[in-house]
Formats: sequence, structure tokens, C-alpha cells
Amino acid sequence: MTDTLTTAPADAPGGPPTVPAWKRAPIAPILGIFVVLCALLTPFALFVPAHLMGDAASAHMRGIESTVTAFSLASVPVAALVWAVTIYSIIGWRHRGSEPPAEEAPPLRGNTVVQVVWLVLSSVLCLFLLIWGLAVLRPTPSAASAGQPLMVEVTGQQWTWSFGYPDNGNATADRLVLPVNQPVQFRVTSKDVIHSFWIVQMGVKVDANPGETTLASVTPDRIGTFDIRCAELCGLYHAYMQTTVQVVSADQFASWVQAQPRATS
Amino acid sequence: MVDTAVAETAIGREPRRRVPRLNVLTGVVCGLILAGAGWGVSSWLLSAGDYGADRVVSITMVCWAVGFLVGVGALAGPIRWLLGRDLSVADEHVLAGKDQGVGRYFRFTTDHKVVGVQYLVLSMTLFGVGGLLAMLIRTQLIRPGARFVSPQTYNTIVGMHGIIMIIGTIIMVSGPFGNFILPIMIGARDMAFPRLNALSFWLICAAVPVLLATFFFGGIPTGWSVYAPLSDQAPAGMDCFLITIIIFAISSGIAGVNITTTAVKMRARGMTWTRTPIFVFGTVSSVALGVIAFPMFMAAMVLEGLNRTTGTVFYDAAHGGSAWLYAHLFWLMGHPEVYVILLPAFAAVLELTPVFARKPLFSFLGAVTGIAGIIGLSMFVWAHHMFISGWAPALDGPFMLTTELISIPTGLLILVLLGTLWRGTVWMRLPVMATFAMLWNFIIGGITGIYLSDVPVDQAMHGSMFVTAHFHFTLMGGALTGFAGALAYWFPKMTGRMLDERLGMIGFWIIQIGFNVTFLGMFAVGLAGQPRRVADYPSLFATGNLVSSIGAYIIGSGALIYLYAVVHSWRHGRRAPGNPWGAKTLEWQVPTPVPLENFTVLPVVTSDFYGYGEGGSAAPTPAPRRIAAPVPSGAAATTQEGGTA
Amino acid sequence: MRAFVGVAGTLLGGAVAVALAGTVLAHATTAPHQLRAQVSGTASTPQGELPHAFLELDTWPDSMAGEHGPSGGSHPDWVSYGPASSLSVPAHSLVTVTIRQYDTGGELNNDFFGTVRGTVDGTATVDGRAVTQVDPTEVGHTFTIHAIPSSQDPLFVSVPLPAVADDAPVLDNGYPAPHVITFSFITGGPGSYVWQCEYPCGDGTYANFGGPMSAQGYMEGTLTVG
Repeated sequence: MTDTLTTAPADAPGGPPTVPAWKRAPIAPILGIFVVLCALLTPFALFVPAHLMGDAASAHMRGIESTVTAFSLASVPVAALVWAVTIYSIIGWRHRGSEPPAEEAPPLRGNTVVQVVWLVLSSVLCLFLLIWGLAVLRPTPSAASAGQPLMVEVTGQQWTWSFGYPDNGNATADRLVLPVNQPVQFRVTSKDVIHSFWIVQMGVKVDANPGETTLASVTPDRIGTFDIRCAELCGLYHAYMQTTVQVVSADQFASWVQAQPRATS
Repeated sequence: MVDTAVAETAIGREPRRRVPRLNVLTGVVCGLILAGAGWGVSSWLLSAGDYGADRVVSITMVCWAVGFLVGVGALAGPIRWLLGRDLSVADEHVLAGKDQGVGRYFRFTTDHKVVGVQYLVLSMTLFGVGGLLAMLIRTQLIRPGARFVSPQTYNTIVGMHGIIMIIGTIIMVSGPFGNFILPIMIGARDMAFPRLNALSFWLICAAVPVLLATFFFGGIPTGWSVYAPLSDQAPAGMDCFLITIIIFAISSGIAGVNITTTAVKMRARGMTWTRTPIFVFGTVSSVALGVIAFPMFMAAMVLEGLNRTTGTVFYDAAHGGSAWLYAHLFWLMGHPEVYVILLPAFAAVLELTPVFARKPLFSFLGAVTGIAGIIGLSMFVWAHHMFISGWAPALDGPFMLTTELISIPTGLLILVLLGTLWRGTVWMRLPVMATFAMLWNFIIGGITGIYLSDVPVDQAMHGSMFVTAHFHFTLMGGALTGFAGALAYWFPKMTGRMLDERLGMIGFWIIQIGFNVTFLGMFAVGLAGQPRRVADYPSLFATGNLVSSIGAYIIGSGALIYLYAVVHSWRHGRRAPGNPWGAKTLEWQVPTPVPLENFTVLPVVTSDFYGYGEGGSAAPTPAPRRIAAPVPSGAAATTQEGGTA
Repeated sequence: MRAFVGVAGTLLGGAVAVALAGTVLAHATTAPHQLRAQVSGTASTPQGELPHAFLELDTWPDSMAGEHGPSGGSHPDWVSYGPASSLSVPAHSLVTVTIRQYDTGGELNNDFFGTVRGTVDGTATVDGRAVTQVDPTEVGHTFTIHAIPSSQDPLFVSVPLPAVADDAPVLDNGYPAPHVITFSFITGGPGSYVWQCEYPCGDGTYANFGGPMSAQGYMEGTLTVG
């Protein structure tokens, strides 16, 4: 069934055999564009996404930022290659006129080497991404063995978050206050529709599902005020379903949690 | 034409009874009458209780749709068959719009070329409405604290923009070009099921008013993904929405079966699969995927309709249901659906690139493998939308793997495009601009998709503007750009006139520039942590949103210029020759305007259609030297023309 | 020239269409008028001497006594706040809110909102009696203010409004004798906030949070500090 296909690569000329391939007309300028693009894109990939993501407030978020940077760097040559050929084809192979150009271009119907190399390279890149992702995903043993985490109950209700500290006399609050360098486990649930509990600078995000309790954990390692937002459209005031998390010293936390109202039940 | 024999016996019996010549006006009148009747009866019988309003609205909307279809004449054939009088050949000609002038575009017309043009106008209308809503979204977000519309209205606008664009992009290529071009391209006289073809179009026409009615019944607070249980809580606008989805799923199922059957069974003699143009592969795999995917959404919406009108609790965890059930059903449709949108547009670009590069498609087999790989994998990636739903972490790895794997076949398609351009003589006309723009945009869309496939990164990016920017880069930068190219490419064949290149170019590139400005700004605020679908945001995100809004207005201006170019050229454009691009596929070998049954003598295909630069067959209609020789298809089509001469 | 006119006309037409649709949609749900807090004198607060502003609100078991007019608008049976849902208070002030609560009620779905939060001293007065929390099974509504943080001063105030007993005496206006709840909070700098009810009172909808609970002008509104 592949009568034309199997014969076509054999017909495709590999160019005049006397000149080395990389010195032929299209290759050298494309390489040039490729190098220029790489030079432009590499600093972009190194600095821009991580800068936009802001200062992380947990080791987990730093891992995410380095993943983004690594993926950006890995995709620089891919994008540069595709764009180099694209840009060169606009400049170097253009034909203007109101009539179709003569069919003088080499009728390439595929090139087994190119296709195999392309497939292998994209598979290797894919494998790299997968292994990297699984490695970052794997829970770090230090977090697991760092002792009893602070338990925080997170409740989403249209359109506010409320927090409970069952280990601290059932204190409740409308914003989150956490002690620094203390592992925290969030038990997240919803009273009505699906919300998504997102601490932006800590890379914590888990849905708050009605009738289910989902878990997330993090160890905040920087003192400051960070943002909690709802990341799942939950109705009228979804945009306003935001509050803050304040990371403070252990002493400050203890005195703060003491001052909070207790749960009524 | 299958039932010609039956029809001819019918002719003998009742020669003068013709099918009624109904049109869109009778459809609207009939629909309104039936909707009024449905509203009256259901208000009388069913309006009490918590579910009353939902029952009344649902019944009214269904009655409108049925009434509209009856009034437009969709059921003329089946009704006559039930009465024992099948359609005669003369009836079929009336249905096909023979000698009916412009009026046939406003009727239940079975000619695939009419249906194609109808789809084109419909999808461009939907883009107009969806784009208008996009402008309103960006106006709301132009600065923090802007209370241009209320959050309630804003949520509805976001959801309506989403679904209108989704419907518009799903039909934008396989509708106009899959109907108008594909049958000619494969050497057929019409679709396999012409009446179903018209039905699929008019079903969408019935659904669009229902969708727009959402605005008048409280809107939808849910976005187009209508996550349960928020949808259980929504006002009656949700009933309009879900009935729209049910009708649209029926329509896309009918269209999918029809296009698939046509391509599988009706290709010209000698058109083996390896000689079938790549556009046919892209369209057929897309619509066939839609046939599998859309019933999921339809089922989810039927369950939701039961929740809303009879008090079932399918998605209500407090009563034993599960909100995750909905999420799975939705994404089982939702992720294949993006490939339903993307593949025909990508295939159209694959189809037109060889024409303008004057080279064969680089690795036809690679392109087919790429499409097949995407189709195969697309059914196994849906749950990457649920990485943070709180599900079993053991599932993260497998779905991360499948999602990342899909970049391999997609990369293969990119290679085919690059290889086709490689050392070509690229004729710089408007259609091929889509190739360049797509190569730029789609790389950005693809790479950012890889970030999202990574579970830890998704914990930071899920539900943020980053996701919004990513899928706009694939669906708009990739698919919609491909549509703009395909429209410019097939415009001469469909309308008989050339698309104004100067205005088209200006509009096209303004869209592309505005597009990149808009969504690069959106990537920035997404990385910084702005959630999606918010009516307001902290001033921290002010700059990125301002940039996005300005970019959106640029897109809007470019789109209007492109629209003007299309409309103006359609009416006053330069008359197009039969084959202005010197292309080799069959649709360019028939005269323009295309006669009612396309071919007087069906063509015989002896090679594939990408033989540019092979054997000096430069002229699009060379004189046939021998019929069965392995020369490019131009000769094959000429066989047919020789037959008519 | 002709193309230029055509393009300009199309662009103009598009702009007009967007403006028209925007205007229609922007006025689809706008509250008819804004209720401004009346400033009267100053008050000494933990944050020093601040202007003292007063707001008076009602919660009705239907929509026929508030901003939707005597006919109740399109949903006369929906519960509602009155007299307006679009509120405005001065910045850097002590705001004293008085709410007459005319509605019956039941149990909160989140006890969190049974506690008075974010007011001066963490207290409110119910019919003249100071409380810090009310019985979470006997709540009629709540008045809960919250907002987008990180670009304006945080403001979170939540006060439960106890339910009127089912057998309460009926007044001349046809409603039961109300509870009167008074509380004060201190505003920061200017900003846009929202307020809402957190008692699930959208009867007949999922989680009782649809209907009046999901529509501005009933149990939700905006609060502008400025």
C-alpha cells in the first residue's frame, strides 16, 4: 500500500555529493539564526519565568520554579530550531508573484535519517521531562520524618475560606497564620461546591471538594505575608475568595493562636 | 442517490407532489409557536416546586428546537417516508437546492456545497459573538477594581465566550471545508447522507438561540466547563446551556458519522489510503474522535438535567453522588475535544503547505502517523485536568506520561511542515502565512503545555491565567490561524472569487501580533499567580492585564479587517479561475462554481496529489497522455474532463 | 480609498457593537442606588479618634420591602437585604452598622460564621445585649465583608444575625418583630470590597446557596471604602 512512500526516499536526492551537507546554502544561515535565537531565548528561559513567579516561600515552590526554568532551557533549542527554519523559509525560499512558481524544488518525500533522529530526540526529551517530573513529585524523606506536622483544617464555602487549628484548642480564623519551618498538613474540604485551595508562593494547590477531605502539606520557610486564592470557579464571588497567609515565628504563632476565637462546637 | 430506484417508482405514482419549500423563517415561526405551546402547557402542569422553573425552561427550549427543525423542513423526508411516499428524484433536486439561487442557503438544502457555505457563515457568526464577549472580558479586566459589569454578568460572559468559541472552532474546519471541499477532494458527488448533513447544520442553528437564551434566564455562573455541583445551584440559564450541549452533541455525532462514512466509502476509484489527501485524514480522525468524545459530555449534561428537573443527585456528594464523576465525564470529552478542534486545522495547513512550497508533503506516512498517534493518545490524557482534584496520587505518574507522550506525534507533524518548507520555493500568498504563524504560535502553545503536564508545576499553574494563555496559544494561535489560512486557500473555490490579499494580509498579521501581545501578557500574570475566570484582581497583576487588554483590542481590529476582506471579496472580489493556486487535488480540477453534482464523470486516481516537481507535471491540467499511467492526479482529473468534452 | 472606508466602517461597527452589548450587559444587574453611611461626629477607637459613620440595614424574608420595590421585582419571594445592596463607607473611620433582622432561620452549615469576627472588641449587640457568638442552630443571616487582599487593606467582618422565632409577634408592616443587631468596625484605606450572607438561605437550590444567595441585590452586595 505504500508504493509511493517506500520508493520516494530513495528518489530524494541528498544533494550534490561533492559538497559537505552543512556547508550548503540553507544549512549555514539556518544554523546562524538558530544560534542567535538560542542566545536570545536562553537568558529569557533562565530568568523571566522564575522572576515572574516571584520569591518562593517553601522548598516545594523553589523546586517548581527550578523545574520551570529547566523545562524552559530544554525547550530553547527545540523552539530555536523550528523558528530558525521558519524564519529562513520566509527569507531564503520566498517567491513573489501572481503565478505559481515553477516546480523546481527537490521533491523530498521524507528522509528516514531526519525522521528517526527527530523521533529519537523528541522521545529523549520526553523521557527527560518524565523522569524530572517524577523525581520532583516523589515526597522528600526529610519532610516525612520531621515530626508531627501542624494540622490545619481548611474549609471553603462560597465565597470565603475559614481555618481551624484542631491541635491548638480549636482556634478558628479567617486568615491563615503559620509558624515558620514547621511542617503543616492541610485537611481541605468544602461546604458546598468545588473550590481550590491555592497558596501561591508555596506551590500548594488542592481542590476543596464537598463531602471529601483532601490533603496537602508544606513547610513554609520564609517569614512574610503570602496569598491564598481560590483556583476553581465557584460562582458569584469567586474572584473575591481570597485571603492571606502570614508566616511568623513560632512564638508569635503561639500567642496569635491563643487569641483567636474557639470553634463553638 | 442510493435510493434512486425506490424514488423512481414513487415518481410514477405521484409526479406532482413535491416536498414543501420551507425555509428558516417558517422554522422560526414554527419553533416559536411550539415553544409557546410548550411553555404554556408546562407552566400549567409542572411549574410548582423547586424544579418548576427548570422544567418549564427545559421543555420550552426542547419544543423550540423540535419546532424549528420541523418548520425548516428537516423532517420532510422521514415524514413522507412514514406516509409511504419516498422522495422522488425531483424532490431530491428540490432538497439539493437546484436552481434556487441565494434562497437555497436559507433552506434545509442537502447539497454539500450549500451546507459547507452555511457552516462557514455560521462559524464566522459564532466567532463574531464570541469575540465580542472576549472584548467585554478584556474591558472588565483592563484595570483592577473595574466594575464594568457585575461579577454575575461577568461569569456568564466568560462561560458564554468559552462555549461559543468551542462550538465555533469545532465546526470551523470540518463544517465548511469538511462539507464543501472534502467530498470533491475525494471525488464524490455528495456526502454519504446528504439529508443528515443538512440536519447536522440545522440542529446547530436550532441550538444557538437556546444558547443565547442563557443570558435571559439568569446566565451561568460556571464557565463553559459547568463543573458540578455548582451547576446544580445555577439559575435556569443552565437548563438552556445543557440543552444546547445535548443538541450540539447530536449534531456533531451525525456530522461525524456522515463525514467518516463519506471518506471511507466514497473515495474515487484508485484513491487508496496512501493517495488520500492529508486533509481527509485530519478531518475524518477529528470528527470520528468527536463521535467518541461528545456523548460523554452529552451524558454528563443529561444527568445534570435530571438533577435539575427531577431532583436526582448524581453529582451531590452529600447524597451519595460524586462531583468527580462529572469532572471525569467532562474531561473525557474535554481533552479529546481540543484535538477535535486542532487536527482538521492542522491538516488543512498540511494540505496547503505543499501547494505553496511547490514540493510534495514531506513524509506523508509521518503525517498520518502523527495524526493517528495524537488520536490514540488523546483518549488517555483527560485526567491531567484532575491532578489537583485530590485524587489518588498513584495516578499522577501514568497521566503525566501519556500527556508528555502526546508531544511526540505532535512534534512529528511539526517536522512534516518544516520538511515540506525545506528548500522549497515558497509562494508568499495569504494562505501559506498560516503555516508560518502556526509554527510560531504552536511551539509556544506546545511547550507551555508540557509545563502543565508536569504534576508539580501544575500545582502552581492549574486554574491560573497561565492555563488560559496556553490553550489559547494552541486553539487560537494554532487552530484558528489554520482556519484563517484554510479559508484564504479554499475561498476561491467556495465563492468563485479571490480573497483580497492586501487586506487579508493586514488583518491576518494584526491578529497575530495582537494575539501574541495578549497571551504573552496573560502568561506573565498566570506565572505571577492570577487565577482564571476572575472578575477582579489585585493591583499586583495590573500591568500584565493592561497589556492583555490592549492586545485583545488589536486582535479585535485585525479580525474585523479580515472579516471585511472576506465579506468584501465575497461580493466584489476578483473572479477566481478554477485553479488559482496550481494545486493538484481534485477539488481544484472541477470548474468554479462547482456544478451541482461536482463531477459529470467520476475521476480515476492514479497517484497521490503531492507530486510537485516530480515528472514535470507543473501545469494543473495537463493533457492526458495515458489514463492509467502513474502520473500525478492532474491527469486523473483530466480523464473526467476529457469525458465531458 | 474604498477599501479604507470599508475597513474603517467595519472597525467602527465592531466598536459600536461591543459598546452596545457592553452597555446592555453592564446595566443588566446594576443596583438602583447606593447607600452611603452618614458621618456624624468622631469616636475614640483603639486606633485613635476617627470619624464615626452609621449604616442602617434590614434583612427581609422577601423582596417586597427593599430596593426591588413593593412588587418585589422578578423574584418577590427571595429573601433580601434592604434598603440597598451597594454600600459606601468612609475610609479610616469607625463604622457602626445597625441591622434589623426580620427573618426566621435555622442552622449554619459552617459554625465558623456563628462567631462575631472583625468588629471592635469582637462583639456585637443583639437587642441591646453584647455577644461574641450566637447559637449556630438559630441564625437567620450573616453580614460578612471580605475582599481581594494584597492590594488594599484587609477587611474581614462577619456578624451572625440571630433568627426571629417562628411565633414572634407580627408588626403593622406584616413582618415579625425584628432582632436589632449593632456592631462597629474600623475601615482602612480606600478599596473595593464585597459583603454577603453566609447563612444558606437560597431555599430549594443546591447547598441552599443559589437563587438570592448567588445574585447581587439580594443577599450580596458591594462595599466601597473611599
